[in-house]
Amino acid sequence: MELQTNLRRIILAELLVPLALFIFGAYHGVLQTMYLSGVIRATSVAGIDYYQGLTAHGVINAIVLTTFFAVALGYTVVSQELKSRVSIAGAALSLALMLLGAVMAAAMIFLGKASVLYTFYPPLMAHPLFYVGLVLFIVGSWVPLWTWIPVYLRWRKENRGWKTPMGVVGILATFTVWQMATLPVAVEVLVQLLPWSLGWTHGINVMLSRTLFWFFGHPLVYFWLLPTYVMYYTMLPKLAGGKLFSDFAGRFTFMALILLSCPLGLHHQFADPGISTTSKGIQGVLTLLVAIPSLLTAFTLAASLEYAARQRGGKGLFGWWSKLPYFNPENWLFPYLFCGLLIFLFGGITGIVNASYSMNNVVHNTAWIPAHFHLTVGGPIFLGILGGSLFIVTGLLKKPVVSGTMAMIVPYLWMGGTFIFSSGLFMGGLRGEPRRTNLGLTYMNPASPSYRSDWWVPAHMGLVGGCIMGFAVLLYFIVLIRSLAAASDAAASKAPFSLPTSEPYHDEDVPAVRNFTPWVVAAVLLCAAAYYVPIRDIAKNGITTAPGFRPDSPAAVNTTH
Amino acid sequence: MSINVFEKRAFLVAVASVAVSLALIAYATWGMGINVPTCIPLGSKPFEQASVTKHEGKNYEVHYVARMWAFEPSVLRVPTGSTLDIYAVTKDVTHGFLIAGTNVNLMLVPGAVANSRVHFEKPGIYTIVCHEYCGRNHQNMNARIEVSDQIADYSVEGLPASEGMKLLDAKGCLACHSVDGSAGVGPTFKGAWGTPVTLTDGSTRTLDSALFLQKVLHPDTITVKDYPPVMPVLPLTDDEISKIEAYLEGL
Repeated sequence: MELQTNLRRIILAELLVPLALFIFGAYHGVLQTMYLSGVIRATSVAGIDYYQGLTAHGVINAIVLTTFFAVALGYTVVSQELKSRVSIAGAALSLALMLLGAVMAAAMIFLGKASVLYTFYPPLMAHPLFYVGLVLFIVGSWVPLWTWIPVYLRWRKENRGWKTPMGVVGILATFTVWQMATLPVAVEVLVQLLPWSLGWTHGINVMLSRTLFWFFGHPLVYFWLLPTYVMYYTMLPKLAGGKLFSDFAGRFTFMALILLSCPLGLHHQFADPGISTTSKGIQGVLTLLVAIPSLLTAFTLAASLEYAARQRGGKGLFGWWSKLPYFNPENWLFPYLFCGLLIFLFGGITGIVNASYSMNNVVHNTAWIPAHFHLTVGGPIFLGILGGSLFIVTGLLKKPVVSGTMAMIVPYLWMGGTFIFSSGLFMGGLRGEPRRTNLGLTYMNPASPSYRSDWWVPAHMGLVGGCIMGFAVLLYFIVLIRSLAAASDAAASKAPFSLPTSEPYHDEDVPAVRNFTPWVVAAVLLCAAAYYVPIRDIAKNGITTAPGFRPDSPAAVNTTH
Repeated sequence: MSINVFEKRAFLVAVASVAVSLALIAYATWGMGINVPTCIPLGSKPFEQASVTKHEGKNYEVHYVARMWAFEPSVLRVPTGSTLDIYAVTKDVTHGFLIAGTNVNLMLVPGAVANSRVHFEKPGIYTIVCHEYCGRNHQNMNARIEVSDQIADYSVEGLPASEGMKLLDAKGCLACHSVDGSAGVGPTFKGAWGTPVTLTDGSTRTLDSALFLQKVLHPDTITVKDYPPVMPVLPLTDDEISKIEAYLEGL
């Protein structure tokens, strides 16, 4: 079945608009590696301040690009797999709110009114419209789930006894996590930040706002990851020429992530005052439990790839590795997912380091952290978005990919770049190099008393890696633009577009992973249990409220009128 | 329904890996005594002044104050083998406090006190890095701890408040004004900053920078009620006045 015409248009906008914004995100990413290594020793380049550009890099790449892609993939999967029409009004409303919000936030950033980074930690204070933009964007991203639920329930009624398609389970899990995770940050923005930035309130409880932010901030990473998991479980085995090794593993993973995504944000606050070690420890344990579905995913995907390789004639204990379609321009999407998976091995392992409680003392807020997340959100997730967007955009427009070879090279280049970039930042982080700091002016400036010669090698590895990553993005945009400019493919125009869908190899029926309700209820209860004590402690300790500060002055903002 | 043996093994290996990690973390926490910062219950509000207090042996209690964009004290010198109990607060936005090459890694959040302990076994210069974005000059915000075999006791730089105390002593202010609340020829400084004072002309004013400056530069123009008009003119520089103010503010 072909997707509804208007839905196709909406999906195209959801994919192409953020990609256009991402051109700046990527440009400034490369620029940051130059600032950090001291190649650029300035506060700004071309009128954009380092911290302003860094805010844009974070907001565009980590919030706007990822969320739009999740919504676009969600509409494609739900519509295709349930063979159902979805609400166009809902989809249009969601797109409008998200676009408006993204434009407002981006405008405030580019006007220099919101250089507060994407974590917007108060008491740094941005322009109220920045916060309004974020709220509109988030509310817009809530709409799709509520329009999919009736479609899903109708499908269940009409297809009693049938398993819900894996992709739909994954997408509903993605947006369930998003709905739970974004409520606290919406409260933070609407109750704390917005009135305070408008001057209606004069102080803010900073520990409370940090805690509400990280209640959202960590599940956010699973929200990034889940659409990629959908592609891994439903598309990768098929693209490799095989089947999904374990249907149970996929369904269990999605349900487990609903349960465990939220009650563990405190592991971002291990270094914070005002929260007891007991509360931190409990969420530390919960954090490590999330590794179970991720490890299971790694094993299952490896087994699926092995199965595919053996179908292609692969032999021996390790010999089968050579039989996968690594360099096939016709199957250019495979390396996007495969390279992402390889990168994620290291992203996952270093994530376990971050989560390992007292180990956080060594790495917290150092360059180690961006090194880690460029192997997660900047690795499998980003490659999934690039590959998925190119596949869906060209598929919906019935256009050929020009050229498949060039498209195929992008993920390998990107992987090489991220490995060099992240190795440098890991090394720097262990030597105390801070993240999100314009190092070139001081720490990477031999003329400064703060100069750190031992950060030179790490920072320059970041530079080399960053430039390779930038080059990969450039190639990608050449492919995308050439493909968009190409004439429609006459042969492809006849067949309806669809995403590749893998069949299961082992297809047991485990009722426990076939019903969302108990997992959602358990998740809500677990969140309440994990957060009751720390939030009570923060309230009880009578922590004084803080006035606002602009990033360019140590004098508090006078919000009295 | 039976689950395939490899699916079962994958699940068990995933669970076992996590169990091993958790066991290692438990060992690091309780066996090796490495923990994350905890909650310091606050009596009323965080301290506002940086200070160094020497305890028995080579143990020091250091109170750091962070602000945009500096740490107080900026330089601390201690003998090799010293143990520092660090307490740190911020006066404005959230700052980071990382001592490179150690396990001290703290967030300084408005309204709360962060705490950690560090033992310096090896001599060297340890950089304290602000690792949380705190505004335009974030990259300038650092301090250092110099650990040396050559010194027997601590010394410190960049403590405006304690320099203020030294100035009060050196300029003779303490002859008439106490800092502990005890009575003297003039009113005590203890708890006076920011509170209202009644003057001999019956008016009430708040002890702030303006009033302080007027009294120091032109002592004969105002006198606090119930005290004699005997304060001399003191030759203080702007820098000295601001250091004294910094000290009085936190008193």
